[in-house]
Amino acid sequence: MIEIFSRLRFRTKINLGLTLIVAFTSLIIAIFVIRMSSDALIEQSRKRGEVLAGNLALRAENPLLSVDLLNLGSMVNELKKADDEIVYAFIMDDQNRVLANTFSDGFPVQLKEANQSENNKINIVTIDTGKKRIFDFAAPIFLSDKKLGTVRIGLSRAGIQSVVQNLIFAIFALTGAVLLLAVLLSTQFARHLTFRLGSLQKHAEDIVATHLGPSLRKEEAKDEKFTDRFKRAITHPPKGDEIQELNNTFDAMGMSLACHIEDLQITEADLTRQKELLKTIINVSPDFVSLLGPQLTYLAVNKSYAEHLGRTEEEIIGLTDEELYPSETAAARMEEARMVLKSGRTVNKETREPETDEFSARWFHTIRVPVHGQNNNIIGVLSTSREITELKGYQAQLIQSQKMESIGKLAGGVAHEINTPLGIILGYAQLLQEDLNPDEQISKDIEIIEKQARVCRKIVADLLGFSRQNESEKITMCFNNSILEVVQLVSHTFKLEQVEISTELDDRFPIIHGDPEKLKQVWLNLLSNALEAIDEKGRIHISTQLDTNSMTITAIFADTGHGVEAKNINAIFDPFYSTKPVGKGTGLGLSVSFGIIKDHGGTIKAASPLPRPLRRTLNLPENAGPGTLFEVTLPLDDLSEEEQA
Amino acid sequence: MFKLRYTLPAILLLAGAAIYFFGSQPAEKIVRVDMSLREEVRVPEPRPAITYAYLPQYSHRVSYLRHSKLIDYLSRESGFTIRQVFPDTFEEHRRMVEDGEIDISFSNPMTYVSIAKSGARAFARIIEPSGSPTFRGQIITRKDNRAITRLKDCIGKTWIAVDPLSAGGYLFPLGLFLKNGIKESDFKEISFAPGPGGKQEKAVLAVYAGKYDFASIREGTLNVVRDKINIDKIRIVAETEPFPGWVYAARKGLSDNVVNKIKYCMFRMSMGDPKQAAILYQAGMRGIIPAEDSDYDPVRRLTEELGLNIDYGQQGGLK
Repeated sequence: MIEIFSRLRFRTKINLGLTLIVAFTSLIIAIFVIRMSSDALIEQSRKRGEVLAGNLALRAENPLLSVDLLNLGSMVNELKKADDEIVYAFIMDDQNRVLANTFSDGFPVQLKEANQSENNKINIVTIDTGKKRIFDFAAPIFLSDKKLGTVRIGLSRAGIQSVVQNLIFAIFALTGAVLLLAVLLSTQFARHLTFRLGSLQKHAEDIVATHLGPSLRKEEAKDEKFTDRFKRAITHPPKGDEIQELNNTFDAMGMSLACHIEDLQITEADLTRQKELLKTIINVSPDFVSLLGPQLTYLAVNKSYAEHLGRTEEEIIGLTDEELYPSETAAARMEEARMVLKSGRTVNKETREPETDEFSARWFHTIRVPVHGQNNNIIGVLSTSREITELKGYQAQLIQSQKMESIGKLAGGVAHEINTPLGIILGYAQLLQEDLNPDEQISKDIEIIEKQARVCRKIVADLLGFSRQNESEKITMCFNNSILEVVQLVSHTFKLEQVEISTELDDRFPIIHGDPEKLKQVWLNLLSNALEAIDEKGRIHISTQLDTNSMTITAIFADTGHGVEAKNINAIFDPFYSTKPVGKGTGLGLSVSFGIIKDHGGTIKAASPLPRPLRRTLNLPENAGPGTLFEVTLPLDDLSEEEQA
Repeated sequence: MFKLRYTLPAILLLAGAAIYFFGSQPAEKIVRVDMSLREEVRVPEPRPAITYAYLPQYSHRVSYLRHSKLIDYLSRESGFTIRQVFPDTFEEHRRMVEDGEIDISFSNPMTYVSIAKSGARAFARIIEPSGSPTFRGQIITRKDNRAITRLKDCIGKTWIAVDPLSAGGYLFPLGLFLKNGIKESDFKEISFAPGPGGKQEKAVLAVYAGKYDFASIREGTLNVVRDKINIDKIRIVAETEPFPGWVYAARKGLSDNVVNKIKYCMFRMSMGDPKQAAILYQAGMRGIIPAEDSDYDPVRRLTEELGLNIDYGQQGGLK
């Protein structure tokens, strides 16, 4: 029922409502009016009957006393004739004997007892004859304390009923007319009301269709700005009732909204552009940028940082350091952030991230600054971290270089000074040798002195070489040949140690400009290092590769030895660095080689273990050691046209 | 604003109230009567009783009210059934006494004199409220009628009298006028109070209303109408000489036993007894005393002197 009602048109609802109200009100009024009118009529009729009966009783006193039956008879007959509504009238004496009556053919037997007056009041009963109802009035005639008789009058109710029926008909006719009028008026009213509401609905639909404000008329400029239309609507609103006012307000609201939306769209576009710009800037930066909230959760991170943590940006946002870092690191980081949040001081420090399985130790320069809110309170911590491992390496190298330079100078000076006495010791030892019988013990001792002196001179020579005190003589030479010469020299010894040397040299015979002797020293150093790295059986592979594009020649020394630990790979070129036990090596070989290659304008690099593709190329056995690879790159001498061809 | 849960009960309440009031009719007693059952009405026969009649100088109502208690008393005391009858006129009264329809007549002396001719005999007379067993006639006018101050001023004026046979109300005053040399023809008009009964009151009221210049009434009437008009506005112009008061007469042939018993009961009444006093007071008397026919000779003499014909049909006329 309620559903059906709610589905009705608003106009129908108004009509229905007004009709119901008018009908209901009319009904209630009609019921009351009919009730009151009929009551009043009946009451009036009763009073009239009482008056008539009372009058007759009064008039009948004298005739009753004088037993003037003729007079009594004429009284009742006159009364009946005078009024159509009087059905009957009769007068009884004190013994209820009928003295006069208006009945022409006998007196109704039951009528006498139908109404008995009590005391000296007029008693009224309704007599139902079966055909009609009659008001019966019994008026006693009292004189002094004695009852002389009773006057009875019957008053028809038909007259009253017909009046009441006429009244009911009139009221219902009037109600119908009013109802009809109300329906007509309500229809007009509803039409007027719904027209406005329809307009309101149209505007609402326009708003839903994103056409905020009143729809434009055809003659109006389509490209008119909302702001101008809004101003016009405010200054010249159409006149009307409350609904029209609501309509105007609605229009104004819609247009105001449209203006705001326009502004918002512009602002949004602007903001989006700025946001993208900022995001790009932050993401482009290789630094790790992050923003922590007051709860120490990540509010934003840049791409680099996300990649560094091995997660996506979305994953990181909302997490804390505890969920991203090992507990110790996390605690330290969080403590720092907490301190920044609390004190507002900037943290500027360099940290060393401990090495992991994947990465060696890395250095970071971290700056943490507080982010202030509108009330100047701290609402977050902005952190930027920049990896400075490389910088640190350069720093170390610089320090190393300076150290090397100082050691070199010192060692050169010392070597230069020691070289002279050593020469003298050697010379005198040789002179003594000549004078002594080689079989004598003393000659043998001098021979040991001479031998050890030579060892010393070799060390000194190496030191001089390291400090480049002795100038090298560079000539045009064949790169491959210098390697082959060394290989031939050591191959026999190496075979004895069960180490096989294989070569794969570029057959284009690259020519370089260098010091053959010093280069041979480098190759020898590399080969002897490789031999020492191989514990039992092993293999050393040497390959050369000419790169005409970069005008370089590269020699690769790969061995199957125990390799170098990743953390030490950068330290092996440091002077006096050695993995060998004390007395086995000086730790100068690789640093001397580094110096020679550098002197030739080339580079030397080490890698351990061997790269996988190389292992496959060399077809190394599975149980072979991880191996070490040295890569020496030297610039080519200017190639002849023939060679280039 | 109009929530259904408030509006609906209100409407239902209103509708309920309307229906309640529509349905609540005043208590009506309904009696079923079959009008088809009919019977012939017979004129009731009066029960045999001693009839008692009061000369209709007042209305039947007043007559009844005055004498009903006295009749009740007499019935009770004598053991007879006594019924009051109400003749409409003095003449009817006289006729009924003559015809024997009235056993005991209570009439004025003039009527008695008339009925005595048919054999009725006086046996008792009353003491008037004034305390005297006699009464007088009075000539009254409005107090503001300056034209009538003396008896002679009545000449040429309109006169309303009670009845041609009324003693105090006409004949006594007429005798007074004649004694003073004023004849009936000297008046502009002589009218008598119309209709049966209530004649004394009507005469007073006619003067009071200004319809007649003066009226003749029985002494004591003004007291009777005291509650109807302002009697201060009435002036008594003259009074007649006193005549014996109203008289109880038994019709001719009424048994002496009845008369004696009623006499006995009447004479026993005393103003000293509160109950009897109330009865007497209501009847407009202060006692009943024995009377004889000869007591009314002065009245007879008056009629003779006046030459009045007190017989019906020639009322008020001079012989």
